[in-house]
Amino acid sequence: MIEWIRSLPRMKWLAIFFTIFALMIVIQMVRIQTSASAKNLNEWAENYGYEVRTIQSERGYIYDRWGHLLAGNREVYELGVELQYVRNPQTIAATLASLTGADYNDMLASASQEYVEGSSVYVTLVDFIDVNKVNEIETLKEQYEENNPYGQDEELPSLRGLVWTPHLQRIYPEGTLASNVLGFYPYLDRENGRGFFGVEEEYNDLLAGIKKEVLIALDPYEMQEIPTAPPGASLVLTIDRDIQRMTENILDNSLETTGADNGTIIVMDPSNGEILAMASTPRMNPNEYWEYSDIFTSGIPYNKAVSQVYEPGSVFKVLTMAAAIDAGAVKPDTEFVDSGYIEVGGVTIYNWDRSAWGPQTMVGCMQHSLNVCLSWVATELGDEKFYQYLDAFGIGHRTNIDLAGEEVYPLSEPGDPMWYKVNLATNSFGQGVAVTPIQMLMAASALANDGQMVAPHVLKAYIQDGQQYNTNPQIVGTPITAETAHTLTSMLETSLMEESSDALVEGYSVAGKTGTAEIVVNGEYSSNQTNASFVGWGPTDDPQFMVYVWLEKPSSSIWGSVVAAPVFSDVVEQLVVLMNIPPDDLRKSLQGQ
Amino acid sequence: MTENRKHPRRKERSWGKINFSQAFKQAPWRSQAQMVGLFLLAMVIVLLVAGVYLTISGQAASAGLQAYNLNAERRTLERTIADSKAQLALLTSASLMEDRAVDMGFESANPENVVYIVIPGYTGRQTAILAPPPGIVEEEGPVVKSEYRQSLWDWLFQGINRLSSSVESK
Repeated sequence: MIEWIRSLPRMKWLAIFFTIFALMIVIQMVRIQTSASAKNLNEWAENYGYEVRTIQSERGYIYDRWGHLLAGNREVYELGVELQYVRNPQTIAATLASLTGADYNDMLASASQEYVEGSSVYVTLVDFIDVNKVNEIETLKEQYEENNPYGQDEELPSLRGLVWTPHLQRIYPEGTLASNVLGFYPYLDRENGRGFFGVEEEYNDLLAGIKKEVLIALDPYEMQEIPTAPPGASLVLTIDRDIQRMTENILDNSLETTGADNGTIIVMDPSNGEILAMASTPRMNPNEYWEYSDIFTSGIPYNKAVSQVYEPGSVFKVLTMAAAIDAGAVKPDTEFVDSGYIEVGGVTIYNWDRSAWGPQTMVGCMQHSLNVCLSWVATELGDEKFYQYLDAFGIGHRTNIDLAGEEVYPLSEPGDPMWYKVNLATNSFGQGVAVTPIQMLMAASALANDGQMVAPHVLKAYIQDGQQYNTNPQIVGTPITAETAHTLTSMLETSLMEESSDALVEGYSVAGKTGTAEIVVNGEYSSNQTNASFVGWGPTDDPQFMVYVWLEKPSSSIWGSVVAAPVFSDVVEQLVVLMNIPPDDLRKSLQGQ
Repeated sequence: MTENRKHPRRKERSWGKINFSQAFKQAPWRSQAQMVGLFLLAMVIVLLVAGVYLTISGQAASAGLQAYNLNAERRTLERTIADSKAQLALLTSASLMEDRAVDMGFESANPENVVYIVIPGYTGRQTAILAPPPGIVEEEGPVVKSEYRQSLWDWLFQGINRLSSSVESK
């Protein structure tokens, strides 16, 4: 044997050595791949090789018509501790207490929790922390780490274990501006948040996008394209930020000067129903939405413009007169001798001043807002036609404006148990009938838009999956002819001019009607608590805006002509500048060029 | 004539074979060198394959991690963009802009002091077009192709499985 070994040449020895070495490598490879450890490793990888991640869409933005951001998202941080790495909970608690205002004891209790693998690993300490605060904390943490690496010395401060995770928070950069239209999103509820009121609620599904759980492979070889949740759709509203701000300022000032409890001003384009501004009180800052219950007490609606029904009073007369003229029951020059009272259904109706105004044309009836005359007009028209017209004007129906919480009050019609003959008279001048401001504005839009009633809306466009989809204006009915609309506009323009109304705006032709409706207190109409309103539009030959003003319980004067008409004038005076509408004479001369 | 022609050729062939065998017998190290050479060649091939495999594996892992990091970066950028938009909106809010305008000496315009001029072709202020440019179409699936995700072991077994299945089917 030894001889045989000795006889082998060195090259063969080398070959044998390498062969054995190679075989050992292969054997070792097979052993590693098939060993019990490899099996365990595979099982571990199957369990821990993936993580379930919840992907939440970014909530869509809300813009005004010019692209100003009204609702967006900002970056904030959640701060928590990874219990396994916490070395000095006192430092963590003291830092968070001083920088974020959190309670020291609460922080200390949370950060001192014992680490239990699989169950107690991470604890959230504070949330919605501004990036500047987090930067300060980060600087501190680095300093402490430099002085006390790995937090080894428990006597020295250490923020080891404190971690922060960014996420987005809803923000309303304009604060209270248009808050009644926007609604709010309760961002503190990160799991189940949804929009409340206004656009946030109405378009919640569009804005929210999607939320999904996905399995993410941690093995780089198995790396999948991490699915993304496309952001929620963004909305472009018809609201004009500058007009909205202007109307809110005027409304707030008018509440101060008139002593009214609350008020509403709506500005709408009568040609397409776009709401340019919708101011209402009270308002709140949606960034501090938790104040809702303090501000909107005892059932005050979030947006009175769409959610509060009230007896409109004399502004309703424009609908009665429009119906009568359209049906041919009266003409603008039809004469009525006002004796100061009229009996309808066994009940005597009086004028607002309980006087007799003598012979009046229909223009005079509107100018002096004579209840007796309008009651007579309604009886001339007949109850069947009168209510057919009211129905066509949308009274008793929702406007279906795209804002959450729209209210409606049913209209009592002949045949209903609650309807009496006298209702025909009282309804003709806006009593015994209740509407929301937006409902009244939509009905009146037929007068300013050639007899066609437009659907009021606040959504101009929405942006989804990289595409912008514009909404189209909708005509919801044609209750009167264009001729009737022009006739009424002319009558109302004349009546405003003849009474030198406070609603007039120098250089601009406007048409409109005041309203003063007594409020029912303890079952009776109160003579010193009223709803003062004004509905108007202009320029009369080419209406480009409609304005509705409602002041609730003004104390400086109960009359709409005294408190609401000047507000209309104030709004229009600034509106024409913001909308670039030249004075009538200049506009007509420019059109002729 | 035919026989004579065949014999010399046979002789030539056998002489060539004898000469070749003799050459090897005379130098046995040649056969050893041949064996060692073949063995080393096999080793080199194996090493090359292993090297290529290691390189590809490294690159695949690196690409996977890079994709993961890029996803994280994208999420960060999305948040930054959202935050920047919000900050910009805060800085240009109506109340702040009005305050700044007043500080700079501007006053609100009244109908009396507005001058209107006709600009041919100007159709007025246009409402916002805010749709972003079309994005890329994302296809969900493995970022790294299956060829680059297989281990050498998987590849070997896959080959053996294919071979055995093809044999079975025959």
